[in-house]
Amino acid sequence: MDVTTERQEGVLTAEVGGRIDGSNVAQFEEAIRTAIDENDRAVLIDCENLGYISSAGLRAVLMTAKSLSSRNAKFALCSMSDPIREVFQISGFDKIVAIHPSRAEALASFDS
Amino acid sequence: MLRFSEEIMLLLLSDNGGKFVDVPAPSLDCALAGAVLMDLALENRIDTDPQRLFVVDPAPLGDDLLDPTLARIVDSEATHDTAHWIRATTDQADAIHDRSLERLVERGILRREDDRFMWVFKSRRYPVIDDQTIREVKLRLMGVLFSDEIPDARDILLISLSDVCGIFSSLLSSSELDAAAQRIGQVRKLDLLGREVTNAVREIEASLAMAVAMPMH
Repeated sequence: MDVTTERQEGVLTAEVGGRIDGSNVAQFEEAIRTAIDENDRAVLIDCENLGYISSAGLRAVLMTAKSLSSRNAKFALCSMSDPIREVFQISGFDKIVAIHPSRAEALASFDS
Repeated sequence: MLRFSEEIMLLLLSDNGGKFVDVPAPSLDCALAGAVLMDLALENRIDTDPQRLFVVDPAPLGDDLLDPTLARIVDSEATHDTAHWIRATTDQADAIHDRSLERLVERGILRREDDRFMWVFKSRRYPVIDDQTIREVKLRLMGVLFSDEIPDARDILLISLSDVCGIFSSLLSSSELDAAAQRIGQVRKLDLLGREVTNAVREIEASLAMAVAMPMH
């Protein structure tokens, strides 16, 4: 699992690659938590290179969304492969967290 | 911190002097089995995906409610899905039930009273000594059900277990239950383990219904 981040105009984008499961979920949480700045108005997790996510990974994503929601920052996911999108949809995450087809659409949604 | 099985036993206590509300035994067995698996997942000992349940860390927790099930999963030569481990753990449901109540007594939350009915039949009750813990657990549940906030992982799993046991019908009025039904359904979906416990109970109920419907020879 690897996380690379960039920030533009108060929007943190974290590109996550590889697998997120119980063996590395703590590193994922730590990477996201330390990357988020208190002045960030939105956080986007780009899942284009995410190959696998387990229940532990889903919980970590949900807790990130919860933490950002509590301080009124926006949160979204984007660029999922079909199998990964299916996992998120089965779990009903798409009813709670914004999921966009592409990074451009996700970034545009933060300005709307 | 209470384990899920302890929280479920508290939520099942009726207000009537330390007796428990009636729950179909297969539902309670699945809920207690699921409760142990959920605690193991939140302790990062196991993890799941739709196809399998797998060990992340085989180290025992030093918790007699969880370690026996963890040891069985660690010792298993084959990998199985979550539904398999829920069914397999139901054979420990009586032990989980009894140990959970013992721990609530040891924590000073409940008191055990043994009575005799008509001087013959043994009857056991668990009157509440410290009702603050029960009130806190109920408040947590209500806080999730009647808000739009994203619930935390423990509350998602507790709502799944409570729903399986039919606890909400004893906690909520029928109008409150109607108002919360959609939210319960939404929250219950959010965790695979919660969904699998619900599915396991439905499978068992369907097989029992089929057995009843089968003509006798």
